[in-house]
Amino acid sequence: MMENKLRKYEKIEFLGEGQFATVFKARDIDTGDIVAVKKIKIGSRQEAQDGINRTALREIKLLQELHHTNLIGLLDAFGHMSNVSLVFDFMDTDLEIIIKDNTIILSTANIKSYMLQTLQGLEYLHSNWILHRDLKPNNLLVNAAGILKIGDFGLAKLYGSPSRLMTHQVVTRWYRAPELLFGAKQYGVCIDMWAVGCILAELLLRVPLFPGESDLDQLTKIFGVLGNPTEETWPGMKSLVDYIEFKSFIPIPLKNIFTAAGDDLLNLLEDILVLNPLKRKNCMECLQMKFFSNKPAATLGSKLPLPRNIQKIRESERTSLKRKLVDAADGGILSKRLLF
Amino acid sequence: MEDFICPRCRTSKFQNPSLKMMVNVCGHGLCENCVELLFLKGSGNCPECRIPLRRNNFRIQMFEDATVEKEVDIRKRVLRDFVKKEEDFSTLREYNDYLEEVETIIYNLCNNIDVVETNKKIEQYKKDNKELIQKNKGRLGRDEYELEELLDLEKQQEDFRKQEIKNEEIEAEKKKIKNKEALIDELMFSDGNAKNILETFAEKAKEQEVKAPPPKMAQFSSGIQFGRQTQSTFIPIPNDEGPTYHYKPLIFETEGPTPPTDYDILTKGYIKNVRVETEQERAGGFQSSISCMRALQDALSGLYHTKKQSV
Repeated sequence: MMENKLRKYEKIEFLGEGQFATVFKARDIDTGDIVAVKKIKIGSRQEAQDGINRTALREIKLLQELHHTNLIGLLDAFGHMSNVSLVFDFMDTDLEIIIKDNTIILSTANIKSYMLQTLQGLEYLHSNWILHRDLKPNNLLVNAAGILKIGDFGLAKLYGSPSRLMTHQVVTRWYRAPELLFGAKQYGVCIDMWAVGCILAELLLRVPLFPGESDLDQLTKIFGVLGNPTEETWPGMKSLVDYIEFKSFIPIPLKNIFTAAGDDLLNLLEDILVLNPLKRKNCMECLQMKFFSNKPAATLGSKLPLPRNIQKIRESERTSLKRKLVDAADGGILSKRLLF
Repeated sequence: MEDFICPRCRTSKFQNPSLKMMVNVCGHGLCENCVELLFLKGSGNCPECRIPLRRNNFRIQMFEDATVEKEVDIRKRVLRDFVKKEEDFSTLREYNDYLEEVETIIYNLCNNIDVVETNKKIEQYKKDNKELIQKNKGRLGRDEYELEELLDLEKQQEDFRKQEIKNEEIEAEKKKIKNKEALIDELMFSDGNAKNILETFAEKAKEQEVKAPPPKMAQFSSGIQFGRQTQSTFIPIPNDEGPTYHYKPLIFETEGPTPPTDYDILTKGYIKNVRVETEQERAGGFQSSISCMRALQDALSGLYHTKKQSV
């Protein structure tokens, strides 16, 4: 049966390689759909002590039960010899590529659309008691239809258990919340929200807001903008295991940094980028903020700006499917580097 | 790199590689965006030393050290008045003394030594040499002469190029007429096939036309290329708004009784059955109401599940 599944997908092109997996673009022979096949590396014995790589196990376990437009869909999983492969929706690009492409102008309506999709996906995830724990532009995948899907659930985990401690070494440093940097072992949805705030800031600035070079530098960068927390604004912070005193910073008004942003957007950003995790707004509260119901309304998915090379494909799709396939075979589609 | 941070918005060169620091007469830096923001009206105060500044006087900071910028500014101002040239002095010695004096004045102004005294000196000098300054302003310096020469040369080249193109055109016209005559002659007097003759002539004419066009000027005399080199042509901003968004709460099919809300948990005593979170947990963003809620949801979901539904 596994042999059959292996033959069900026809490799089209190599997309990228990460620490734990290699990703190929492939075609489902039965339906003709384009998919992404993530072939998990076997890894060391330590990593594979559960019989299968832990990140792959997490992805299979969680994604099998999650179905939402804004979450990457796990279509299939199969094994061959000692390898495990996961089959996902094929996504053309990701937010990191879009942010770094300086030929793309991101309007408020565009940013609103990306944020709306991210928050809706995340709300569904959080309502199902799952933390993503690795949100960053690179993991917010976008397809040619302008639909954003949260991807890479290798670090995702159930939360809300009163006794289980979790590691604080999660989330890529630039998007890591201050309580994680201070070594909190019990945390909630707030850590994902902080990352969302950083991503929103990055959509506006087109560069990371807090590009820390080390964990300490990360906190310096954060406090340099938001000012130091005090025992009043963040009660109990001194009890966190890695807490240290920083030299005092004067907060900079976000208006000075995001000069082009409107007041409703600044309000949203101010409510997400809060040092005290309990004061940080969650997805549901954010989605109810004025920014999302105000004009301009979010851009329609099909009208969102895309990198040049993908745009070409979207246009040709209307004319002929054949050309698209030729393009793909020529490597016309941007090969995206996946980091795990 | 570390020093390259705008003191107002704290943008660093790392965050924004195209960051441009501007500097004014006071020697305090500001980034381009902040200048635009603060000096919208054309003038305002320096955010650091509160000296009134004009927007026009902002220049792009070329040196990492802002004091160097300050010196450049002062030097420019002083040299507007101290315009004596070597020809104005009888001996080289006198000229050197004059240059040294100018340098002393600039140094004093830069380092705030005897500012009042020095400014007086400048005023005195201005009064004494009023005529000379006026005269020197009208006189073209050596630099200006060089520039003028360069412009002249460029003009000459341009004229020459135009002439050349004209000549070529005339030449081409002549050749065309000649070819036509030759063709008619050939048709009239040779015994060959008329069609063959026509073909050979057509080919010849084609060959001549393929000649390379005259080389175009590709740069200004200063060595800067014509036209923009960057690839960045922007895609126009599309205006395609979807419908306005209104929040709708997520609804889950739990196959069980509706779990209590956040409010119920806190007020109806559910919370008393759960261990109170420690200070450390609260600081990390954890609350026992969260785990209480999860436990209740987990316990209640699927209670109404029957086999019929699953088939």
